[in-house]
Amino acid sequence: MAGDSAESAQTRRYTQNLSRRFQIYRSTSTDPYLNLSIEHHLLQRSHPDSTILFLYTNRPSVVIGRNQNPWLEVNLHALRRGLPQSLSSGREKDSDHGAAGLASSFPVPISLVRRRSGGGTVFHDTGNTNYSVICPPAAFDRDKHAEMVARALLERCGVRGTVRVNERHDIVIDVENEDSDDKVVSAKKVGSSTFKVSGSAYKLTRTRSLHHGTCLLQSENLARVSPLLRSPAEGFIKARGVESVRSPIRNVGVGEEEFVEAVMAEFRKMYGDGAGKSVVVGEDEALANDEVIKGLRELTSPDWIFGQTPQFTFSTHPTEDDPRERPELKQTLPRGFQTHLTIRHGEIQSANVAGLEYPNFIDENSQDAILSKALTHQRLHHIVDWRRTLEDASQIPVEVDQVGKFLNHMFGIQTLTSKGGETVAQTIEKTISDTAVGVFLKRNAINS
Amino acid sequence: MASIARCLRVARPTALPAVVRNSISRGVAARAFSVTASNALRKYTKEHEWIDLSADKKTGVLGISEYAAKQLGDIVYVELPEEGKEVQAGDAIGAVESVKSAADINAPVSCKITQVNLVLEEKPGTINQVAEDDSHGGGWIAKVQLTEEGLKEFDESLMDVATYEEFTALEGEH
Repeated sequence: MAGDSAESAQTRRYTQNLSRRFQIYRSTSTDPYLNLSIEHHLLQRSHPDSTILFLYTNRPSVVIGRNQNPWLEVNLHALRRGLPQSLSSGREKDSDHGAAGLASSFPVPISLVRRRSGGGTVFHDTGNTNYSVICPPAAFDRDKHAEMVARALLERCGVRGTVRVNERHDIVIDVENEDSDDKVVSAKKVGSSTFKVSGSAYKLTRTRSLHHGTCLLQSENLARVSPLLRSPAEGFIKARGVESVRSPIRNVGVGEEEFVEAVMAEFRKMYGDGAGKSVVVGEDEALANDEVIKGLRELTSPDWIFGQTPQFTFSTHPTEDDPRERPELKQTLPRGFQTHLTIRHGEIQSANVAGLEYPNFIDENSQDAILSKALTHQRLHHIVDWRRTLEDASQIPVEVDQVGKFLNHMFGIQTLTSKGGETVAQTIEKTISDTAVGVFLKRNAINS
Repeated sequence: MASIARCLRVARPTALPAVVRNSISRGVAARAFSVTASNALRKYTKEHEWIDLSADKKTGVLGISEYAAKQLGDIVYVELPEEGKEVQAGDAIGAVESVKSAADINAPVSCKITQVNLVLEEKPGTINQVAEDDSHGGGWIAKVQLTEEGLKEFDESLMDVATYEEFTALEGEH
């Protein structure tokens, strides 16, 4: 396209370029909600015939798929604890959280995000960079752009090993097993191992298709990912919707700038130099766009993060619908304790709690029934403390300590000495409110 | 449903042209009267939704086409429309997820959602089996009440069965 070279990357506003045939954007924000909202804006407002590459890096976040269950996919306790401060400074863009100096001993918060595309749960941090390609439906292909990134890694970044797109449309690396220190292990495992370095997900609308993917470049948190994505309630929950598939992961060991340049170069090779330089999208500019703000409000709301959860059951004992053998319950729970909950869009549809102990009362069964009934329509993500919820649901004094602690643990609520603390919705809100985006949304709350 | 045309190109059997495949599968899935009777009043969108119009032209049943279901691959979750919601033609009213893809379901005409097929939430694969079946146990997604505008859209902007088959055959050739 003529005139490209005359324009500098910084002076072109991204909203004014949505009609160009090929476009490249790069966000300077590390806010996961904002980056996904910019991406959604590009999906909705770009010219139907255009093809767009968008690159962004998020601060530490757990990102679940559109139709997933945070109580099943995520260890909300580990999420609340956050990550230890990085020793090597790396990319210091997440200055949103904690000033330098004294604050540096505080953990780094982890955001919980539900994206609009399908697929499973992934972990992001500043050692991971995301690519996203938006194109016309007629040109859509699940592998095409994963292969573009695989070529960038292999041919431009010189990643060692076999980089390929697998049958799940993820980018994996086959690595020859090195001689292990442990001779016994290495003798048994000769050959190569496969590691996932990039996961794909898609969103298809009437007029556009979006493929986005992660790419683990140099994350320092790989060892922390697995426990973060293991819920204590896993053995008790049966969920509709989409379950994640676990894969061993690995960094490709490429710097962020090098990766971004390589992917842009491959994109230009595919679509021509007309794609031009990348347009830099800053936080202020993105936050000046009403549609981005609208998307941001949706993505940060507990109704989206928790309320969008497909129906699921939580049962402490095998049921006809979910006959799996259950993890052993703690001895401290009352004998005969059982709970069965059906939860739809975060709201308890039916509850059956049995075996609670009521001091000075004989007909416990009828009291269990009354208590269970009172639990319906409670919203799981707005429960502060199950001990209090159970007490409030009962008409007479009831012993709630052990059962309440157990249910708190199952559903990601921290049990404090006093009966009360915060809901999981508040836990997540706290990770947002201190950030630039959180402050912006609060300041502009009146306008919405 | 716009974007699924090419998603599973590789998985598609290419030996048979789309028209032939479609008519075979429709024949197999056909259920005595309901299908025959409704075919005359069934129309399709370019985005691969179908809608059956009732004899009194006031209500309809909608879903996604067999062609679309095949392209999407194994459907693992259906986000149903909201009952009581009034929508314009082309509005996203729900979504289906398959192979890591969330694909919008769009309203074929302007209408009000009166009932949704709750079975699909539990058995999303029903759409892969009987996508265009509007009976109990079928893959239909919602029952709707057409607005005046919706009826006009039904008459003027949607494709009849023959036109849609031609359309998908062409799309498959790309």
